[in-house]
Amino acid sequence: MSLGISATQYHQQVRNESISVEEYVARTLERIQKVEKKVHAFISVNENALSQAKQIDKKLKAKEKVGSCLGMPVSIKDNICTKRMKTTCASKMLEDFVAPYDATVVSRLKSQDVIIIGKTNLDEFAMGATTEFSYFGATRNPWNTDYVPGGSSGGSGVSVSALECLASLGSDTGGSVRSPASFCSVVGLKPTYGMVSRYGLVSFANSIEQIGPLARTVEDVAFILNIISGHDPHDNTTLDNGKPDYTKDLDAGISGKKIGIISEMIGDGIDKDVAAVTNRAVSKLQRLGAECIPISIDSAVHSVAAYYTIASAEASSNLARYDNIRYGYNFDLEGYEFNAYISKARGSFGPEVTRRMLLGAFVLSAGYYGKYYLKAQKVRSLIKSQLDAAFKKVDLLVAPTMPILPFKIGEKIDDPLTLYLLDINTIIANLAGIPAISVPYELAHGLPIGIQFFANAMQEKMLLQAAYALHKTTNLPEVPL
Amino acid sequence: MVKRQEIVRLGDLIKIELKNPGKYVKQVEQIIDYFESLDKLEISSDKMLAQELTLDKLREDKYIPYDEKLVDKLKHTKENFVKAPKMI
Repeated sequence: MSLGISATQYHQQVRNESISVEEYVARTLERIQKVEKKVHAFISVNENALSQAKQIDKKLKAKEKVGSCLGMPVSIKDNICTKRMKTTCASKMLEDFVAPYDATVVSRLKSQDVIIIGKTNLDEFAMGATTEFSYFGATRNPWNTDYVPGGSSGGSGVSVSALECLASLGSDTGGSVRSPASFCSVVGLKPTYGMVSRYGLVSFANSIEQIGPLARTVEDVAFILNIISGHDPHDNTTLDNGKPDYTKDLDAGISGKKIGIISEMIGDGIDKDVAAVTNRAVSKLQRLGAECIPISIDSAVHSVAAYYTIASAEASSNLARYDNIRYGYNFDLEGYEFNAYISKARGSFGPEVTRRMLLGAFVLSAGYYGKYYLKAQKVRSLIKSQLDAAFKKVDLLVAPTMPILPFKIGEKIDDPLTLYLLDINTIIANLAGIPAISVPYELAHGLPIGIQFFANAMQEKMLLQAAYALHKTTNLPEVPL
Repeated sequence: MVKRQEIVRLGDLIKIELKNPGKYVKQVEQIIDYFESLDKLEISSDKMLAQELTLDKLREDKYIPYDEKLVDKLKHTKENFVKAPKMI
């Protein structure tokens, strides 16, 4: 039995009884035990996974109704609430926090008999692009464990890539699903803002973040999207998507589609290997029948400044709730005055979270609000207008997901601005609320490179079809772990 | 230019005791310098993205019972209350 199968293949094999849920989950747990020392994708592993698998096998044998996931093991980023399991946000502040409820995405997956195999590592409160800023230690890239896996959903990307689960849920605020998808050679989707409920996602920057699936194939990502998408009364920003079947007509192809190559994302500052791979992907798209034309989104050059202004402002407000009184870590109250206690307790936030809150407080303070925050909101609106205009000319947009190859752990950790600039190709999707997907395409020097497609809001179906068409043409090796 | 004093003041505002404020001075300054590009931008439109929500779209405000006693989950409690440090 191979762990390196897709969720779709897993479903077929469970249905035709060539594998049992228990066998697959047991092998997955063995795999986790074997590779975790090398990659550290998980913060916690579900100790009841095997007994849950046995229960599903029992139901299958008794011909009882079983949900469409058929006990497939899925990992969940540790900033998404899970009842009776810790949700730490990779922070000392929440190191023992157990949520009293499931996030909507989790309850929807559970209703389809998924097995949550564990909670994955992330940059503290999802602030970071490398999964190095975790209170529990960095996650490593399974393609080369000296290298970063991307972030902030690095644990999710690695858990899928290293065959520790069949799919994962991450959160994408500025590229946090697509970056690890690209660096770890898996598929990662950031849905349209409002497509997936954020109820139970620990808030960082509410106006831009979305939960998105990561998996080994586009079909698996579409399968998960079917389950988690749609209106949720607990999240008033959610949209009614009409519940289409995203797995249907995935093989419709891209012949006749017009695809814009974003000029600002393949020019200066892009690694030459990444640029060459992107050019080859564009040629492939043309051979598949798409018409590819260059297109300019010139406001994208200001996207990093606008994004970090808005995200930091929202973060400084959202994280104000962590006072270590309602929830927090073991730190005795005695001997402290109220404000001194809170400041002392909050001193345990890691360097990146502290930096973002300082920035957020700075850009919102008197005299600077109009100079930075208001301007950032106008740039955001400008980006949206330019994307709206682009989608009048083309069906989809394409660019490399990340401007550079994965780099060594610790290499850029003391240079926050350089790390922020890594998000240059992913941020516009978050600021404009449009969907985007990263597809693994090639390796260079043994390290993965992903290609990113963008579509207009609510056009996930077309986006997935394009990703499927390109992904089908690849023949990537197994992860060397 | 961002001064050490400003970082200390921001630390007070966000209620975080900064063990080494000096560490953040250069980094915050470098990032704020990068943000300066926003201030230099000429954007004529005042349009801003917003999501409108009418009151009838809000979910029903109702009590959701949990099967566990939530007060027990808190770190600092006394009887049925949340315990907080003294306010002097």
